[in-house]
Amino acid sequence: MNDDRKSILELLAAGKITAEEAERLLAALEARRDSSPANSAVEDPTPAEGSAAGRAQVPAKGRAKYLRVLVEADEHSTGLKGGPTTVNVRVPMQLLRAGVRLAGLIPAQAHEQLDQAFSKHGVPITLSQIKPENLEELIDHLADLTVDVDGKDENKTRVRVFCE
Amino acid sequence: MIPWSAFVYVEWWTRAHRNHRFSLWIPLFLAWLLLLPLVLILFPVVALACLFVRVNALRLYAAAWSILSSLPKTRVEVRAAGTRVLVDVA
Repeated sequence: MNDDRKSILELLAAGKITAEEAERLLAALEARRDSSPANSAVEDPTPAEGSAAGRAQVPAKGRAKYLRVLVEADEHSTGLKGGPTTVNVRVPMQLLRAGVRLAGLIPAQAHEQLDQAFSKHGVPITLSQIKPENLEELIDHLADLTVDVDGKDENKTRVRVFCE
Repeated sequence: MIPWSAFVYVEWWTRAHRNHRFSLWIPLFLAWLLLLPLVLILFPVVALACLFVRVNALRLYAAAWSILSSLPKTRVEVRAAGTRVLVDVA
């Protein structure tokens, strides 16, 4: 057993990473070894704690830095005269990650109440399932995703969500 | 790095098609200095509250700090009814 594999298994045994994270890290390690067999014994892919599994999946270069939300609604939609209404929001990805970390601190007994409140307001999400590694996956998909929403008839509202 | 300043820009047009604009630079670092004593007082109170609800206070402080430090470069711009409002955190 090589050192990299051993350190991943030690992290798993110490409870610092979950079984899924360990599996992903091992898969990443295998993929890395396949791509550069000569370097595998020299490099040190020892994972850091916590979200190391998530980072192993995301390529370092081309990583999105901002989430952009663009909303454009015409006068019929908003009821406001004087041209279309536009909203342009740029949020650093770090802020989203920090938000997920903060959400992770919500006590388990509060999750059920929050989930019920969310679904009551038309947002059917399970708070306990929002984890940093899930966010990384979402960001990966948002990087090349553009969502255009057009309303019916005269209500033209366009929403674009993308990463850059 | 926590946000040091914020920039607020408001622009609007009157019925006579006259353009008015107003910009404001907010030195947030002064606000942090003013809030520092309050934060120091609140630290043990929050730690006690965390003990009560069984939340790791250190993790809470770390998460709050990471939210604060990831605020720079946040930008919100709204244009509606001949008015433009821009808020930029730096």
